[in-house]
Amino acid sequence: MPDAERVVFRTLRSMLRRRGGEATAVTVDSDLYGELALDSLEVAELSAVLEDDLGRDPYTEGITPRTVGEVIEFYDR
Amino acid sequence: MVLSAQGSTSYAAALELSMRLAAGLRRSSLGRIGCLVTDQATLISLLAAASATGCETCTYPPGLPEAGVDELAAALHHTVVVTDRNVELTVARPLPVADLSTPGGSGAGSWSGAGSWSGSGDDAAAAPLLVLTTGTTGRPKAARHDWSRLVAAARRHATQPGERWLLGYNLNQFGGLQVMLHALVSGASLVVPRSNQPRDALDAMLRHGVTHASATPTFWRFIVALLDGGAVEGLQLRQITLGGEAAPGRLLDDLRRLFPDVRISHVYASTEFGSSVSVGDGRQGLPLGALEPSANGEVQLRIVDGQLEARSSVGMFGYYGDPDIGTGEWRPTGDLVEVQGDRIHFVGRATDTINVGGVKVHPLPIEEAVSAVDGVQLARVYGRPNAIAGQIVAVDVVAAPAYDPDALEDAIRWACRSFPPAAQPRRVRFVDAVGLREHKIARGEIASGEIGRP
Repeated sequence: MPDAERVVFRTLRSMLRRRGGEATAVTVDSDLYGELALDSLEVAELSAVLEDDLGRDPYTEGITPRTVGEVIEFYDR
Repeated sequence: MVLSAQGSTSYAAALELSMRLAAGLRRSSLGRIGCLVTDQATLISLLAAASATGCETCTYPPGLPEAGVDELAAALHHTVVVTDRNVELTVARPLPVADLSTPGGSGAGSWSGAGSWSGSGDDAAAAPLLVLTTGTTGRPKAARHDWSRLVAAARRHATQPGERWLLGYNLNQFGGLQVMLHALVSGASLVVPRSNQPRDALDAMLRHGVTHASATPTFWRFIVALLDGGAVEGLQLRQITLGGEAAPGRLLDDLRRLFPDVRISHVYASTEFGSSVSVGDGRQGLPLGALEPSANGEVQLRIVDGQLEARSSVGMFGYYGDPDIGTGEWRPTGDLVEVQGDRIHFVGRATDTINVGGVKVHPLPIEEAVSAVDGVQLARVYGRPNAIAGQIVAVDVVAAPAYDPDALEDAIRWACRSFPPAAQPRRVRFVDAVGLREHKIARGEIASGEIGRP
């Protein structure tokens, strides 16, 4: 799924941008709940955007990825 | 009397048709009918005829597809649907209006109720009718009413002949019946637009010199969009009424700006309890005084657990299939409110509450904040199912032409930044239309046709 990586990065970057404050770099190794510090509503939002844009998402399927890379890997399966 | 794209119908002609239809109803011994009539002048005569003969009517939405007509007829146990459409039904027998109005050999006697709607003061015939609720979610229900009570209520607010009223609702809606009765008891003219699309309504208002127009806030929002930057000089409006949904403050401001000399009021009314409060001070919400026992003679209001309750002497007797509700019984309205200062503000419908991770979120304040953003023509807030939170707040937005979706989404989220986190929209979709039902925003459905996003 070639789109997945692009969608995941775009979604996270716009969420962090809207949060304001200091810009946080997003890489495949970024920890979603550690360095990116997503709260539960932000995770809910990520799940909804991924489901809408990519047709499925890990959270809805009961998987809780830890890093950005793990989210992208979900779409390689 | 009735001015439409099809021509004009005088009171005399309507009465004459009514008498023929009443004779037809008597001849056919019809006690209950569904009315599927697209020509509004004909429908008015049919309703008058039925009210005079004691035949119970239920007006169906005029454009309802055949399957929907069958479904309604089955739910309401109608065996005959009087219609001017060419329909094939399986549940009920379609009876052409033309057949009913064709004089037969017998039964075409005098119509006892003739002229009783002209406002002369004699009692209107007592006859039952069913009025479909539009509801913003779910399947419509039918409220049991009586013409005599509705006519009596309309008489108390009768105005002057010579007025031209826009029929901005369909006659299957309670608001449409109220406008119709109001015009009839006042001897006013009813202006029927070609369709209930705002553009056609505006056209009819200009063409026929409409003086009084009553419609939903959603309808008026479209009218404001159509008129903004355009000419309002051709309009002869003296009274604008908003009803059926909460009227947002910004819309009231826009209407005041466009129509500085027109009386603008919003009414709190429903198919179930009738009309209660009419608010003319240009501010959204209801004055706190509306809760005083003497405030609105026919309908009393109180707040219980954040919800408005009503007790009405002009309301329905009950839903079709349900027992009568007791006289003087308080009934929940489904409208959730908050009191701020001297004002009662609507925050949403009890059935529309969004549950975000256990936090109850009311969609209306969010919808108002989003609607107030420059570039947003229409917004619909709803709960989107979500694996993490159960539901999240989502908003469908119709953007004005030439707005950049990314910039507009930023502006929308910025406008909602002061809401608690659970109430902030987590999903913004740009759509070419939001679901509307009878010119009210339908919250139960997801609009399709997403645009502006890959």
